[in-house]
Amino acid sequence: MAVTPSDVTVPGALEAVTGPSVGPRSRLRSGLGLWIPAGLVALIFFLCFVWPLIGPVGSPTGGNILEANLPIGSAGHVLGTDQVGNDEWARLLYGGRASLEIALAVNALGIVVGGLLGALAAYLGDWRDAVIMRVLDVFIAFPALVLAIAIAEGLGPSEVHTIWALSFFSVPAFARLARAETLRIRELNFIAAAGLSGTGPVRTLVRHVMPNIVPQLMTFALLGMGIIIVLEGALSFLGLGVPPPAPSWGNMISAGESVLSVTPRFVFIPSIALFVTVVSFNLLGDALRSRWSQR
Amino acid sequence: MSSTSAPLSAPLAARAGRASRLAGSPTLRFILRRVLAAIPVLFGVTLLTFVVMNSLPGDAAQELLGASATPAEVHELSVKLGLDKPFVTRYWDWLHGLVTGHLGHSLASGQSVASILASDLPVTFELILYAFLLSLVIAVPMAILSARRPGGIFDRISMVFSMSGLSIAPYVLALLLIWVFAVKLGVLPAIGWVPPDQGLGQNIRSLTLPAVSIALPLLCFYARLLRADLIEQLQSEDYVVTARAKGAGPWAVLLRHTLRNSAFGLITVIALNFGTLLGTTVIIEDIFGLPGIGHELLTAISNRDTPVVEGAVLVFAVVVVMSNLVADLLYSALDPRVRYGSNPK
Repeated sequence: MAVTPSDVTVPGALEAVTGPSVGPRSRLRSGLGLWIPAGLVALIFFLCFVWPLIGPVGSPTGGNILEANLPIGSAGHVLGTDQVGNDEWARLLYGGRASLEIALAVNALGIVVGGLLGALAAYLGDWRDAVIMRVLDVFIAFPALVLAIAIAEGLGPSEVHTIWALSFFSVPAFARLARAETLRIRELNFIAAAGLSGTGPVRTLVRHVMPNIVPQLMTFALLGMGIIIVLEGALSFLGLGVPPPAPSWGNMISAGESVLSVTPRFVFIPSIALFVTVVSFNLLGDALRSRWSQR
Repeated sequence: MSSTSAPLSAPLAARAGRASRLAGSPTLRFILRRVLAAIPVLFGVTLLTFVVMNSLPGDAAQELLGASATPAEVHELSVKLGLDKPFVTRYWDWLHGLVTGHLGHSLASGQSVASILASDLPVTFELILYAFLLSLVIAVPMAILSARRPGGIFDRISMVFSMSGLSIAPYVLALLLIWVFAVKLGVLPAIGWVPPDQGLGQNIRSLTLPAVSIALPLLCFYARLLRADLIEQLQSEDYVVTARAKGAGPWAVLLRHTLRNSAFGLITVIALNFGTLLGTTVIIEDIFGLPGIGHELLTAISNRDTPVVEGAVLVFAVVVVMSNLVADLLYSALDPRVRYGSNPK
């Protein structure tokens, strides 16, 4: 491992992290490191959103109780059936759809609302910055679970309410990141140039600041996908997320918990799906982050 | 820590005047400012909790008496518990109590909230401490061995392991551990908590599965972070070059110089992450039936027991705010450049 002091400027500079060699093999490996998780994510989206529409996938609900607890590999039921006779494979796909929809919506809300709030706070500065950030601090310090329970019990558990509940968690996180990035960008020359050429504050914010912080927010959102999918599972697991009989990975795991010692597959099948999905998003986020920091 | 700061050229006069300038020290003023800024945040948290609890359908009187109670009975109990008073009055009374050091009494059991918290907090605290120790004991050696040869066989295995551990949901891990160690092998209890006074060994056994469920994702996170920081320091810092030039071996550089610097970064992240950890303990305590503060919180919410919820939420919020403050302080202690806000070009 060669140390190259000539490269060293400010400690912590991102370019210092890049590996010593950029041969064809390492380029191939970094290519695979990006495309394998990207392909997995694409496959998961296809299976959850498109395949139930075009493929031979049964209904996730309204199963026949006489067909309950069929083992894996039964005729017509690839992954068997659950305790009330629903096709496990169909429940897995529709449950994944709920998880992905919620995670996408929560992250989109985080990027748009949190990104705008954070950029606005940093851009306005002074007491307005302080007020916005203190209000967001309240939500960061407040246990997200209590809000989620309140929303689920007050408004009734549903997919949309789960999105609201989890957004209280994602918006402050995105806002903090957006604020830090905006503070950094605000000091750069092109912002000063925009100001000198007579660009107003709103236009500067929308045209010059936002495009420069969005890549950071997007990378964070990929890691956020994994976090939100796990959190949504936690809420559904506690009976506060997607309400049964509609499937979600969290409520499938929760339903399987009571029969864990007899038929562990009811816990393991949705758990594996959850794990593979989260790993794929995490790997993709990692690969993109290291690629962008190399540039 | 003297190796990181204290420039040799610092004027002695500045040191002599240190005691008298302590009141005006930037660090102290920073702490004061942050503590003052935390007060409105904590105030907001208590108000939000009251609003949330107030907006839930049903109240403590209804929950305590059950569905069969007549409206007259419910009303009578409401008056007795003070629930018929207006929202603002109830919040004001609670806030007044808080300022004078009283957290109120549980609506469900009549116990004082302070005594409920005092019996729950040790369980949660022991669980978190156990999980912390487990994760650090594994994460630090793992990161050091990985950073010794980045891209080597150990590094690759530990990266795959840590990515997997990072992606596993704590409740999934908890169920997996119950299935393996309680159902299949039968070596550890799946549920329940043994107080330490009934034997420390039994107590630790009853907390092992919950602690591992929390520790595994945590240790993977720490190991990845520490590894990245170690490698970055090894590749980019001047003091590493100096140490090598003086003839320090690779292990000496890693353990005596780099690890010291990277440890600060790790501690900062540990502090920042503390709030998320508390959230995880709620669901883990629920799965394993541990009588901790997370379990208390869930019960209190379903009982509409506002004073207990307020007490528990306040504990959570204070811990989050304090750990953020500690993280900021550590961050500036780690790198004196941060304190002055300058960015050397």
